[in-house]
Amino acid sequence: MATQTPVTAILDKTPASPPRRLLFQVLHDWLTTLDHKKIGLMYIVYALIFLVIGGLEAVLMRIQLAIPNNHFVSPETFNRLFTMHGTTMVFFVGMPILFGFGNYLIPLMIGARDMAFPRLNAFSFWISAFGGTLLYFSYVGGSGLYGAGSAPDVGWFAYAPLTAHVFSPGHSTDYWTLAVLLSGVGTVGTAVNIVATTLCMRCPGMKLSRMPLLVWLYLITSFMVFVTISPLTAAQIMLMLDRYVGSHFFDTQAGGSAVLWMHFFWIFGHPEVYILVLPAFAFANEIIPVFSRKAIFGYPAMAAASVCIGFISLSVWAHHMFTVGMGPGANTFFTLSTMIISVPTGIKIFNWLATLWGGKIQFTTAMLFAIGFLFQFLIAGLTGIMLSVSPFNWQLSASYFVIAHFHYVLVGAILFMIFSAFYYWYPKITGRMLNERLGKWHFWLFLIGFHLTFDFMHIPGLLGMPRRVYTYEADRGWMMWNMIVSSGAIVQTAGTLLFVFNMVRSYFKGAIAGADPWDAWTLEWSTTSPPPEYNFAVTPSVASRRPLWDLKHPEDPDGNYE
Amino acid sequence: MQNDHRSDEAHVIQLPAPTAWPMILALGVSLILAGMVTHLVVGLLGLVLTVAGGLGWFFQVLPHEAHESVAVRTEEVQIVSRRTLSEREALAVTHRKILPVETFHITTGIKGGIAGGIAMTIPAALFSILRYHSIWYAMNLLAAGGFISWAGASDAFLSEFHLQGFLAALAIHGLTSLLVGLLYGAMLPMFPRYPILTAGFISPLLFTGILHSALNILSPILNQRIDWFWFVLSQIAFGLVCGFVVNLQVKVRTPQFQALPFAIRAGIHSDLTERTYDEARHSDERDSPK
Repeated sequence: MATQTPVTAILDKTPASPPRRLLFQVLHDWLTTLDHKKIGLMYIVYALIFLVIGGLEAVLMRIQLAIPNNHFVSPETFNRLFTMHGTTMVFFVGMPILFGFGNYLIPLMIGARDMAFPRLNAFSFWISAFGGTLLYFSYVGGSGLYGAGSAPDVGWFAYAPLTAHVFSPGHSTDYWTLAVLLSGVGTVGTAVNIVATTLCMRCPGMKLSRMPLLVWLYLITSFMVFVTISPLTAAQIMLMLDRYVGSHFFDTQAGGSAVLWMHFFWIFGHPEVYILVLPAFAFANEIIPVFSRKAIFGYPAMAAASVCIGFISLSVWAHHMFTVGMGPGANTFFTLSTMIISVPTGIKIFNWLATLWGGKIQFTTAMLFAIGFLFQFLIAGLTGIMLSVSPFNWQLSASYFVIAHFHYVLVGAILFMIFSAFYYWYPKITGRMLNERLGKWHFWLFLIGFHLTFDFMHIPGLLGMPRRVYTYEADRGWMMWNMIVSSGAIVQTAGTLLFVFNMVRSYFKGAIAGADPWDAWTLEWSTTSPPPEYNFAVTPSVASRRPLWDLKHPEDPDGNYE
Repeated sequence: MQNDHRSDEAHVIQLPAPTAWPMILALGVSLILAGMVTHLVVGLLGLVLTVAGGLGWFFQVLPHEAHESVAVRTEEVQIVSRRTLSEREALAVTHRKILPVETFHITTGIKGGIAGGIAMTIPAALFSILRYHSIWYAMNLLAAGGFISWAGASDAFLSEFHLQGFLAALAIHGLTSLLVGLLYGAMLPMFPRYPILTAGFISPLLFTGILHSALNILSPILNQRIDWFWFVLSQIAFGLVCGFVVNLQVKVRTPQFQALPFAIRAGIHSDLTERTYDEARHSDERDSPK
């Protein structure tokens, strides 16, 4: 028998404070809170509410497109539906839910008590929340007070000159502009907080090279937010000036440039995809190793690849504009830069596979969603490479092939990892386990629904079905494909409802989780579930990338191998 | 994991005091903007709330940041693993996979890339002189990767010296050579057997294959002008020289080397890589619990 060196640890024996009973007390707690965990949860709940709204809009669109010559909704309503669906999902679901998880997890993972600027954190959440509310107030205010227009109907990237007063009278476009602008302010505030927290508030021993990869990826995402939100905000202000003051930034008939808007929008819009997908990668970096029972393969390469993705993603925006006619030089450059981004992304995929390789894989629901993510993200990347080739893009731009491609990224990769993150961290957040049987039903239903919808959506795109089309003639040969796609949407809805039921039921009746139900290795699992408001009774100190492994296995600490 | 209790301790943690001012400021700013699309009164209300929120926030943090104190009680414990450890022979204690223990320094790849890049110009220059009687043709053809319109230029034009073509070709060739050199430095330790075959032939052929198929899509006109036989020759020249230079360099130890048992680090025992498969299996069988 070998001798073992005992490790000293600190147990938090503080008695739990009694729960608030009165509704007013509970409301006051949440409205005035500066606790990063509560703000994170508010982000998540707010995003889930908008997810339901955006999802319903998608279902309405799919019902409209299920059969030819359908008039389930009017053309005007359809235009509003796709505009609101896109805007909601990107700005008021994707960003807040990912920042919600970041808010909740980053201080816990780096052994801090809170974010660096707790008040700015609360401000950022509330201004984003009010932005979302303002967007949906357009359904009432757009026509209610001025009698012209309703919800925005210019598409989620609002190309000029459609946004000019003459084509978009009333205030619907203004609501869109202002809501996105407010959301941008909140996003930048949270990004500032994440950068400051990560760089300045890590616990003793947590060098950058020992930081959890999740935190690394949020740090990169936040730097990208600084670079990308600024042009978007500038463009929104210029658009407001065009509409209110009579300037001509995007008015082509008065010397302005519609292409300028495209550049401004897509220099935000494409990195935005990576801003959304990097946190999904971050979840995968934490979840895949724990359920493979192995340390992540190639930690430095994973961090470096993420930095590379951050840089390269800033140079690919104009692949959304191949059909504009930018000329062979620009087309070649953006084709190459788009292809090159597949290199660091490929490194990540190989490293996740290498982590799985030889591991004792536990097929929990969280892991199932993570494995689904791996395969689906690969396919999404492959169709992305196809679309990066400009001649191919000329044929399929603005078709349902493109819609299928980016939904493969947003749903197949990002949403799958968000679900995975819910199953993984729900026990930490609530102190109770999600039901695994219901979780597996959710996974399989959602997987089947996803593939019915988005695999088959590529085909009408290849057959020439344009995006945003209100309806189509029966002789186009698109009906069967659209029917399958719409059926898949219903299956996905059923899966999502099961997930919501599981979350609510488990909150009251789920098995007690304990501090560390997954036998995990990062610091958030070293505190109680849910964590106290101060996170850690004593600031932890770490000596490796897996501090809880070191604590549980003092005879074989990770520090020896890093 | 077992806990041995030792001592109790109580102390106080300072947390930021809850406040509604950030929310009020956010509401104020939102209402100011909402006032633009609803009514002036809404905007004015927003302005009032913004001022109030800003002032409230200001006095929350100045002159002293408002805090609330939370009393916590902690207990120090000793943690010992319950896992039973078997004493293993020195060579078997590193049960974790440790790769690689040695690799090339990053400058090795740079040196290799520069040497390979110079070597590559010889077959390229030969091709230019033999086929077009000008040393500049291959250089201008490479520059056409940057100047799209040059892909369709006449042979006479490409046979002349152009300063911008020279600079563009130098940049493209230099950067690519450095990157491929770095790749060689990183990858050659992974394929230690048959370095001449790997570095000198397989890699250049694979790279040429990828470039041939990609260029056919990216720039078919440029693709038609490239003589792929000479291209492969220059790639092989690069691969052989770059691989040779890289393999000449001395390897450095990675941080993983520190994880090896002392006997191996001190050179008393041979390296892990010299263990045969049978030895490893025998050792693993002996260590496994009965």
